[in-house]
Formats: sequence, C-alpha cells, structure tokens
Amino acid sequence: MTLQVKALSKAINHQQIIEDISFDWAPGEIIGLVGRNGVGKTTLFRTLTNQYVAEQGQVLIDGQSTTRHPLQQRQLFFLDGQYNFLSNYRLWEIPEFFRLVYAQFDQQRYQDLLVQFELDRNSQYRRLSKGMRALVNLILALTSNATYIILDEPFDGLDVIVRENIATMVIDEVADQQKGFLISSHDLNELDGLSDRVLLLKDSRLVQDYHLEEIRETAKKLQLVFNDKTIPAVLKEHSQLIRVSGRVLVVVITHYTPEIDQQLRALNPVLLEELPLTLEDLFRANLAHDTGYQLMK
Amino acid sequence: MHNQLDRLIWRRHRRLFLALGALALFANVVMVIIALSSRQTAGAHQLVGASIHHWATYKGDYFTAYSYWLIFVYWLAGLLLMNQDLKDNFNQFLFTSGFSRQRVYWTKLRQSLVVLLGISIVTIAVQYSLYWLMKPHGVSFTLAWPGLLTSWISGLAVATGLFAICWFAALIIGQTGALIVTVTGFTLSLMSVGAISQPILTNRPFSLSGSQLTWLVIGVWLIAAIILFVWGAVLYQHLSLEHNGEYLMVPRLKRPVYLVFVIYVTGIFSWGDTSWMADVVTFLITVIFGYAWLWRPRIGERLHQWRARHDG
Repeated sequence: MTLQVKALSKAINHQQIIEDISFDWAPGEIIGLVGRNGVGKTTLFRTLTNQYVAEQGQVLIDGQSTTRHPLQQRQLFFLDGQYNFLSNYRLWEIPEFFRLVYAQFDQQRYQDLLVQFELDRNSQYRRLSKGMRALVNLILALTSNATYIILDEPFDGLDVIVRENIATMVIDEVADQQKGFLISSHDLNELDGLSDRVLLLKDSRLVQDYHLEEIRETAKKLQLVFNDKTIPAVLKEHSQLIRVSGRVLVVVITHYTPEIDQQLRALNPVLLEELPLTLEDLFRANLAHDTGYQLMK
Repeated sequence: MHNQLDRLIWRRHRRLFLALGALALFANVVMVIIALSSRQTAGAHQLVGASIHHWATYKGDYFTAYSYWLIFVYWLAGLLLMNQDLKDNFNQFLFTSGFSRQRVYWTKLRQSLVVLLGISIVTIAVQYSLYWLMKPHGVSFTLAWPGLLTSWISGLAVATGLFAICWFAALIIGQTGALIVTVTGFTLSLMSVGAISQPILTNRPFSLSGSQLTWLVIGVWLIAAIILFVWGAVLYQHLSLEHNGEYLMVPRLKRPVYLVFVIYVTGIFSWGDTSWMADVVTFLITVIFGYAWLWRPRIGERLHQWRARHDG
C-alpha cells in the first residue's frame, strides 16, 4: 500500500505554483511539509485531492490513478481549513455527510471526541472559534479512518494542551502502520516531534526530502568562535549559517564528514560546540535566504 | 454507490428543495385566491375558456394551466443548485468524495429534475383542487386534455430550458452577484428574441400556424436544454476550483463569451433599426461594456497599480 505523487504541476493564472512534485507516502509515516508562506503547500494539497485540476502529473494510490479511479480518493482525506462546506451545519449534522463518503467513518468516536474536547454538538460550525473549528476538522480527519490523512496547519489556533492531545492522537493513529499523515505546519517544533520525514518546498519545487533520523546522523549544528574575524573557507563551502551573535557563529553542516571535522579543528577555534539539530535549523538553512554569509560583509 | 451519492446530494439540498416546493405552493395558492376574487366581480359562468379544447397553450383570464410561478421556481432552482455548491464549498467535498465527477453531475441533475417535476405535479394538483373547491356557486370549472397537455408540455419545456440556462450559467460563473445580473439580463433578453422571431416564423416563407409555433418552441427549448446539460457535464469534468470567485470559472470561455455577447446584444438592439449610426453606437457600447464586464478584475488591478505608482 502506497500513495505516489508523480511529477505534479499546477499553474494558476499563468504562474507556476507547484512544479514537478514527486514523492511516495506509505501508511505508518508522518510526513511534515514545510516551506515559506505562499510557496504552494495548500495548492499542493488541493491538487493532490483533485479540487484543482493538475496541468501535469498524477496521484496514484496502490498503483491506480485517482483521476481514472476516483474511488481510490476515499483513502485520502483532506478537509480544507479555509474553505469548507461545514459553516451552516451543526456539529451533530456533519457526520451524516462523511459517513456517506468514508465507509469506515467512526461516528461513535466522533461523538466521544466532541465530548472529550467539550464541544457542544448543537453548535453551528461557523459560530465556533478558530481553534475549535481546527479541532473539529481534526476530529473528522481522525474519525474518517482514511488511510492517508492530510492536515493543513492543524495546530493553528489550538492551545498547548489541545496540541499535545492531538499530537498524541496522531502518533497513536500511525502506531499500527495502517494510516499515514501529511502535515503542513509553520510550527516547526511541533512537526519536529511528530514527523519521520520532512518535505521542503522552495520556489514551487520539492527541494528536499529529509528522513529526520538519517539527517541527524549525517548533519551537525555547531557553535563556533574563531580568533580571526574572517570566515574560514571550509565553512563557506560546506555549511549554512543559521545565526551570528558577535563573533559566535551557529552553522549547520548537512554532510558532516571526518575531513570537515579535521579542517575545522585545524583552525584552532576558540569554541567548537555541537548543538541539538532541530527542524527549524534545517528550515533556516534551506529556506532563509537572508541569513547567508554574504550579509556579514 | 448510486444510492450513497443520491443520499449525499439529497442530504445537501433537501432544505433547498423544501423551500422551492413551499415557494411554488404558496405563490400558486395566492395566485388562485387573487384570480378567484377578481372573478367574482366579473360575473362569467366559466372559469376556463373554450380554447382549453384546442391543441395550444391555454391562456385565460382566471385559470392558468401551467403557472409562471412554477417556471420561476425552475429558474431559481437552476441558479441555486449549482451556485450554492460552489459558494458554500460543497464542490470541494464532492470532488474529493471518490464519486466520479460525471456521476456527481448527472445524479445531481437527475435528482433536481425529478424533485422539480414532483413539485410541479403537487403544485398543479393543489392549484386545480383549489380552483375546483373555491369556485363560486354557479360557476363551472371544465378542463379538457388538449389544452392541458399542451400547456403542461409547453410549461415544462420552458421551465426545463430556463433551468438549464441558469444551471449552466451558475456552473461557469463564479461570482453570485454577477451571476444573478447576467442570468436575469439574459432571461429578459429572451423576450426580445421571442418578439423578433415570432413574426419571422409566422410570416412567409415559414408561415407557421399558432400550434406549429408552439411545438417548435417546445422543441427548441428541449434541444437547448439537452445541449446545455451535456456541455455542462463536459465543463464540470474539467472544473478547477482555483477560479472560484472569478467571473468565469472556465477562463478559456472568456473570448467566446465576449464574442457571443457582442453579436447577441448588438443583434437584439439593432433589429429593425434603420439608422446605421444607432447600430454603430450600439455595437461600440456593447464592445466596451462586454470588455469591461469580462476583464474588470484586470482593469481594476491596473487602476490600483497606476494609483499606487502615482501616490508613491
């Protein structure tokens, strides 16, 4: 069982929003999707789910194209947080729609979760706060029992307690390897604790597909202080600058080798300390154009 | 599968169907009451005229065989059924639901037409019953199949045709206000088309009789409806929701729509006009108005940019 995205492209008003996106996604995986604002994360989701017609490429579930075999789409759940049809319905009415589409929809669990999160079943969706709406969307995603679940900014507007509950629930859902999540979020700390893999979108394209365990084995985040004010060539060549504070440099080296280590130590730095590498560091290293060495001149 | 989709669409639109049914019933009941109360002062002995025995659409003073309100309900239904799903983002759900778009389109259309036919039957039954029950003492209410059947078929054909126009327009137009203006304008323009075409068809070389004209009009409405339904199905298959909120949901239709608009509107306003100067003015106004209407977001955008540059 797998979902394959193959060379998916979408232009809106002659502007390329996503281009040649390809990746595989298997149940049991929690994939984070990160990228700067407006890079095309939501467009990718909407194109994946056939709301937007793709210019090129296809989505295959178990080897079958979702456009040619629409029934396969029921394995894929995506509820747009910004534009959905729920506004005029009360919470108790909503499952009537979802159980007609998702055969495994768990109505009892839906009701139980409403009670657990103290959501009034008689409330109209549009009268809920932003955070509560996000919570209802999440409850629907979990109770749909679809194999592949897309969550677009799921933690937006949720308080810390609810976030923790949701994160725990997501992890529990994938424990039996029957479900997979694709989560976009600007909360990189939250994603860091959840994701196995992270896809990085930049300039309409998928520029990185990080397996976090693997990247943590090869990448290092270092804090360095040198006697000399000039930046050593080895750093310019192999590292990405994350932060500068006086003469303290914080850098990420994605492929840290013994040779690089040797070269750095040969420079006799005043300080060479390894720091824990976070998703935020990878994000900054790849996507923050304005923190490069060129700005230090 | 079919059953599930039927239930989904019914679940989504049942309130709207109920409201349309209530509107049709209420309007027709009021119409009957007004007709009968106006009849009491007139003093005739027949509610229905003798022309009900002819194979032609019945038109009388007190009795309406197929109410204009029913036609209006079909018109409104076409508009709302398509526009609501777009505006309320139900299309997003339908497109991700695992039902093929073709199946969604035809199921929705079938269910809508069946419900509207049901509304017509119930409304006509209630309307005729009211005529019979409320007719004043000494006044007869005599019906005949030729006039009734022709009126029903003609009424249903016109209603279905108008439903198809609104259904199609609501499929391709992504702005509710602009949709209402466009469809209302087009519907009103059809009266001019009728006024222009009737003398052409009843005079030489066609010389159609009243009855022939009625059946020709029925045929034209039904063929137009079928063409619009099939064309709508093709467009629905390729509908991409990023255009939601734009005037045209199918951008490639912009130029054809512009061309048809200019020819159609210029033709209607210039018909029978002997002054070529007036025709040229009509043409120019249509060209400018059509361009501004269809390309107005870009015009507005450029105006905004121009202002920003000059203010800066």
